[in-house]
Amino acid sequence: MQHNIKISLIGHLILIVITSLTMQFLIKKVELPPSISVDLVDIGKKTNIPYAPKYNDTKSDKIEKDRVVANQAPPKIVPKEKTDTIPLQENIKKIQDILEKNQKPEKVEDKNKQTSEFEQKEVFDPNKIAALIDKSKKDNSEINKKTSLTPTQSQQKNFVTGSLTLSEQDAIKTQIFKCWNIPIGLPYNENLLVRIRLKLNTDGSVISSEIVDAGRMNTPGQNYYKILAESALRAVKLCNPLKVPSKNYEKWKDMQLNFDAKEMLKG
Amino acid sequence: MKHTNLVKNLSLLLVVLFFGACATNTQQASNGDAYTGTETVKFLADGVPDRVFFATNKFDLTPTANQTLSKQITYLKTNSSLKVVIEGHADERGTREYNLALGEKRANSVKDFLISNGISSDRIKVISYGKEKPANPASNAQAWAQNRRSVTVKTTN
Amino acid sequence: MKKFFINFIFILFATRVYAGVEVDITRGNLNPLPSAISDFYLDVNTKLKDNVKKINLEHQIPELISKDLSRSGLFLILDRNSYIQKPDLSHTQPRFEDWALIKAQILVTGKISLEKDDRLRVEFRLWDIVSNKELLALAFYTTPDNWRRVSHLISDKIYERLTGESGYFDSRIIYVAESGPKTNRIKKLAIMDQDGYANKYLTLGNEMVLTPRFSPDNKYVTYMSYYKNLPRVYLLNLETGLQDLVGDFPGMTFAPRFSPDGKKIIMSFAKDGNSDIYAMNLKTRIVERLTDSPAIDTSPSYSPDGNYICFNSDRSGSQQIYVMKSDGSNVKRISFGDGIYGTPVWSPRGDVIAFTKFHNNKFYIGVMRTDGAGERLLTENFYQESPSWSPNGRVIIFYRETPADNSGHGGSAKLWSIDLTGYNEKIIQTPTDASDPHWSALLSKK
Repeated sequence: MQHNIKISLIGHLILIVITSLTMQFLIKKVELPPSISVDLVDIGKKTNIPYAPKYNDTKSDKIEKDRVVANQAPPKIVPKEKTDTIPLQENIKKIQDILEKNQKPEKVEDKNKQTSEFEQKEVFDPNKIAALIDKSKKDNSEINKKTSLTPTQSQQKNFVTGSLTLSEQDAIKTQIFKCWNIPIGLPYNENLLVRIRLKLNTDGSVISSEIVDAGRMNTPGQNYYKILAESALRAVKLCNPLKVPSKNYEKWKDMQLNFDAKEMLKG
Repeated sequence: MKHTNLVKNLSLLLVVLFFGACATNTQQASNGDAYTGTETVKFLADGVPDRVFFATNKFDLTPTANQTLSKQITYLKTNSSLKVVIEGHADERGTREYNLALGEKRANSVKDFLISNGISSDRIKVISYGKEKPANPASNAQAWAQNRRSVTVKTTN
Repeated sequence: MKKFFINFIFILFATRVYAGVEVDITRGNLNPLPSAISDFYLDVNTKLKDNVKKINLEHQIPELISKDLSRSGLFLILDRNSYIQKPDLSHTQPRFEDWALIKAQILVTGKISLEKDDRLRVEFRLWDIVSNKELLALAFYTTPDNWRRVSHLISDKIYERLTGESGYFDSRIIYVAESGPKTNRIKKLAIMDQDGYANKYLTLGNEMVLTPRFSPDNKYVTYMSYYKNLPRVYLLNLETGLQDLVGDFPGMTFAPRFSPDGKKIIMSFAKDGNSDIYAMNLKTRIVERLTDSPAIDTSPSYSPDGNYICFNSDRSGSQQIYVMKSDGSNVKRISFGDGIYGTPVWSPRGDVIAFTKFHNNKFYIGVMRTDGAGERLLTENFYQESPSWSPNGRVIIFYRETPADNSGHGGSAKLWSIDLTGYNEKIIQTPTDASDPHWSALLSKK
């Protein structure tokens, strides 16, 4: 009896040894880079970094000798005196005020910018959009109050679209098409409509642009809307000034662009 | 000697019956695109081919396969201590995972045939290699036909 | 009447809100976003050790970010030589005009410094050049030799901020490294970063291994091995290097894959020659049989919510894709196109299934919606299969084999990736031939 147990024990031991030896068919011990901790800190809110000084290298000569770069990006100075070639309208003033209160240090003076082709596009205050987006973060902002009157489907149909001819509309569409870089990852099964209202000058330059549903910019779970809205605002800026019909300024001085990425992203 | 002859005859009879049954059914008994050549074929013993071939995505035995397996059965009955592993293989024109399953089916077709012809099931093991071990590494129709196969391999344990 | 009146009032009211013209913009371009990625600013007070200094992190990190973003096909990284602003200003507010001049729409700047505890601090800022504003600013702390991961993490953050979906750069790929002649192929498990860097072999190649797949937490890999000539599913712990048989099946188990919660492995088991789908709970070891058909059922893959399983079956007479509930009920065939279908893999977004299709002697990688509608073939070739999704469901990695000549030579197997759109097909360089890729989840949880 005892003998049997002994045999069994020895047998089992041998089995265990064999198994432990043979199971090492994965001889190479896996040496993956250890899961190193990478700590992440959001420094965006604390951003208060210095400005790049004026660039004086010869390189700029290559691009455009007489490009006006003076007065660009002075640290945290808001120009008191505006020598804009474009008359500022009432609401821009407001935005300026808000901007000053809500200062983000990326202010760029917008005078004397008419020389290069690029800067022609920059004729309207580039801070407005930033200001609008900043404003949208503050729920008590004026614009949000305005946009609480969110248009609905029925209203959409009642817009005076008839006041632009089809070819005039197409001309606008074609311009924006080139400027609008659609963020590719947006969920196409969501509502991907961003409405931007423009006030235009007679030459088609944008006086102001405003997101209709700005409140949605910071709605939880609708992060994609913010990204879409930003892309639409970039498109407006890149296409500024718009090539507009030569006549009937009154008809199109207020223009709403309805950016809808749905079709593009579905296809 | 007499005894083995008897078995031989019996199994032949079975094979003939098998064919007959199939033939009366449909054209199933044809070889389809299964390989019928002898290239790549090895032998378990003189006159006993080690492999049978299958049509694309099929695992049923062709008439030629039945003939080959009958020879294997005879051989196994003569050498009654012999054990075999039946390897199932597929061509490279299918997904890896499906081919593993297909190889398994092919090997089991052969195993079932051997068992139904009197070979004890504990003498037979099966293993599928899917498309992982081609006999002919070329990428052409003939190579693929040669690779759709099951191979009977003698083992020691 | 009342209704009409209300409507009328509303219309009156509504039209008064906005009286301008309206233009619907339903088309834009999907061109890659022109982007500038500046070299980073190296803090002058930072005394990096010589070995770190040699790497030139202030250049290498932005370089790797550029590679990541460029490879995604969504960003056009502008030539660094055209940048007007020097990297020694990369820690400051950029002068937007300088960047706009070179037609950049976004800009990445950054700063590298060393903390007292010798940890590296990498700070980056993402700027919208068109709207002149900062979009994102983050800092990472890590050890200097971990700079590649930091770069990938930054790439992910930029990608997410600009495309609206999470990135996939901080991830790995496990695959089978192949060498030797086709008739006697040596196959090893290998793992590498998503960009092909840091390639490592996990097995020696003594036995054939196939179809490795990561667990959702990236700590385990399940795969099939022919260890001792018994083809079975194994579980490998990547941290300890120990491996285990998955279950005690009296026959071949194959085609393993984790459930989205990581608690189960789903696989095929060939019982008496017939393959059906089983799920095994890794903790309780309880095995559940999910299909019971005399046909081949294999290549199962869970939906991301774990409620459904798609798989491959030839019960209709040819290989097709089916979907069932995760308890095995409600089996529905979803593929009905010409040809045969295999290797269905559910997208991490849940809305589509990637598959391999064989038709007219060609192999395709494609996607279809989970009800089988909207089939789109992304790429056609002599042979390709085994699609696997990037963590964000945007990119599919697969392997492609080229035909061997009549003497059996010249064939190769390589990993490729393609965008869900069917564009941006790219090879992923591996030291040897490669097959059966599987993409991990993001390495760091959000």
